[in-house]
Amino acid sequence: MSKLKTSKFGLGLAAGAMALGLSTAGIAAEHASGFNGIGKNITEKAIEPWDISVFYDGTNLPKGSGSVQAGQEPYDAQCAMCHGAFGEGANGYPKMMGDPMPQFIKSLKQGLDGVGNRAVNNAWGHAPTLFDMIKRHMPFYAPGTMGVDESYAVTCYVLNLGMIVDSDFVCSDETLADVDMPARDYYVTDTRPDVNNQRCMSDCYDEAPKVVGAAVTGVSQ
Amino acid sequence: MSETTLDQTPQSDAREGVASSDRRKFLRKSVALAATGAATAAAGNAYGDVKLETVTEPLEIGSTRHILGRGVVSVPYGMPSKFEKDVVRRNVSWLTADTVASISFTPWQDLHGIITPNGLHFERHHAGAVDVDPETHQLVIHGMVDKPMVFSMEDLKRMPSHTAIHFLECPANGAMEWRGVQMNSMQFTHGMMSCSEWTGVKLTDLMEYVGVDPKSTWLYAEGTDGSALQRSIPMEGAKDQFGEPLPAESCEMYKDAMIAYAQNGEALRPENGYPIRFLLPGCEANMSIKWLRRIKFVDKPLVTYQETRHYIEPLPDGTIRQFSLVNEANSVINYPCPDYQMKGKGAYEIRGIAWSGRGKVAHVDVSVDGGKNWQEAELVEPVLSKCVTKFKLPFEWTGGEHLIMSRVTDETGYVQPTLMQLREVRGFNSIYHKNSIQAWKIEKTGEVKNVQIENF
Repeated sequence: MSKLKTSKFGLGLAAGAMALGLSTAGIAAEHASGFNGIGKNITEKAIEPWDISVFYDGTNLPKGSGSVQAGQEPYDAQCAMCHGAFGEGANGYPKMMGDPMPQFIKSLKQGLDGVGNRAVNNAWGHAPTLFDMIKRHMPFYAPGTMGVDESYAVTCYVLNLGMIVDSDFVCSDETLADVDMPARDYYVTDTRPDVNNQRCMSDCYDEAPKVVGAAVTGVSQ
Repeated sequence: MSETTLDQTPQSDAREGVASSDRRKFLRKSVALAATGAATAAAGNAYGDVKLETVTEPLEIGSTRHILGRGVVSVPYGMPSKFEKDVVRRNVSWLTADTVASISFTPWQDLHGIITPNGLHFERHHAGAVDVDPETHQLVIHGMVDKPMVFSMEDLKRMPSHTAIHFLECPANGAMEWRGVQMNSMQFTHGMMSCSEWTGVKLTDLMEYVGVDPKSTWLYAEGTDGSALQRSIPMEGAKDQFGEPLPAESCEMYKDAMIAYAQNGEALRPENGYPIRFLLPGCEANMSIKWLRRIKFVDKPLVTYQETRHYIEPLPDGTIRQFSLVNEANSVINYPCPDYQMKGKGAYEIRGIAWSGRGKVAHVDVSVDGGKNWQEAELVEPVLSKCVTKFKLPFEWTGGEHLIMSRVTDETGYVQPTLMQLREVRGFNSIYHKNSIQAWKIEKTGEVKNVQIENF
């Protein structure tokens, strides 16, 4: 990368040759580069089976499609036992559907529980990476075993559970990037540090500390 | 609520003839004494006035004295003493639905240095720990590069090596305490962090070798486990999906990154990514992808599941913070701590650990009176960047109540915040990156409890 200012290859070779003389230049070159002869080149074609990552904007979505309707059967068979028939979550596994966006935001502002509510319909910015997650990692007990069209269909079914797409919608590499995700415009990139404590050393507070104790006994005693 | 007056000084004066209540008044008047306070002598013994027991029974000959012990290699890979059987990783059963997508905690209450032994490094899996065969495992580097390349484990070990000691911390460390006191154990309040010596190949060396396009502003790393976990990592000029720049400090973090194959001098453990993992010091550990199989150089973030639904911080202003990557400075006292009781009055050494994702620890201050007065602790060498630093400070426990706490300042001048300061800005739902000052309460009974201070 050009931002890395020193090329250790060039400089190292020159320095090595000067120090050791021409007869050992071969050793010096190997020593200088540290990488001579290591690894193999590979074509992008050969990488294709691994190159599955889908970007937020739909880049690298595989060709294929699946409708809301087609998603019901695989969802009920492979997903509902953990995520609930309606996406409400089950047995402690994540819910697909949480509070709708306005209620979710209201909860955040009021300090009510929003953590357990994070879901596809209130905390997922871009539909293509929902497809990526399902295709890559689901179903949980047999990760990455759903086909492309099946993954589009399940994605579509989940989006419909969240009332994000209509029941006649077909998810595909053509349509997914344009799905309007409810949470998309609420994301703000990190601006920390967001607190500014001072290194006070003495008489830092006038009042006595108000102390709240523990509710659960430690298990490692 | 505590109504008891707290003893204020680490070197609580116990001089003869000063009654306990008078002593407190005396101390309140004189903070200077608190600072110098070594004057605990007085009672005819240079080491203090706590009356010691005297042993009069003749000593027993121990059971190990007249037997032969085990021969060498009777345990080919050595294990801790059987008496240390309780020093283990633990999980919290109700925290996750199963142990396959879950986390375990390092028992810092039983550790004495800055290095986490390999069997005690915290674990975080998304689809379980897998056994990857190093004979067949390969690392692919591609995307915006001159030469897409593939490397075997032997290839990586031939390359110039890089060794450094760094902590890894899950951004959820302390998360169970956001809404209130919950876990009366240091293992569970701070155990999602571990610190190891790592050896591998520097990412920047590999970048030079494959010829990364200067226009590449992001890379992403991906594992070969069931979750094929992937995270986007910013470089100079990185912008988010809306065109907003990432913080400059986040875009510098990759310069310390490595492809690690060794942890504390031996091969990585399977649960920590054997045979190779990405290691991104200073950033939330979710980005240090285990069982690494692929790195791709790109010009935008993926905004993957981990980045849009999981490691995000819903804030009380109604926004959702994304790409909060850096672990800010944090510290905690691991002796005394709630996992053990005080063992009688007299001398103790308050010890703890401090760390910062932004660099070195500069100062650690300790308070024993709930944050009213502080005294600078001694930092124990080595003090390294993005590494746990040990600190210590002498303490005389005279049997009173104390709120003990530590506060780190890192080399950037950032001072560890109070919980109330964090809550004021982030509310109760931000889940991650809770790095606030931790208070332990020493009761008169000698119990040590996890507490929170609600008014500052």
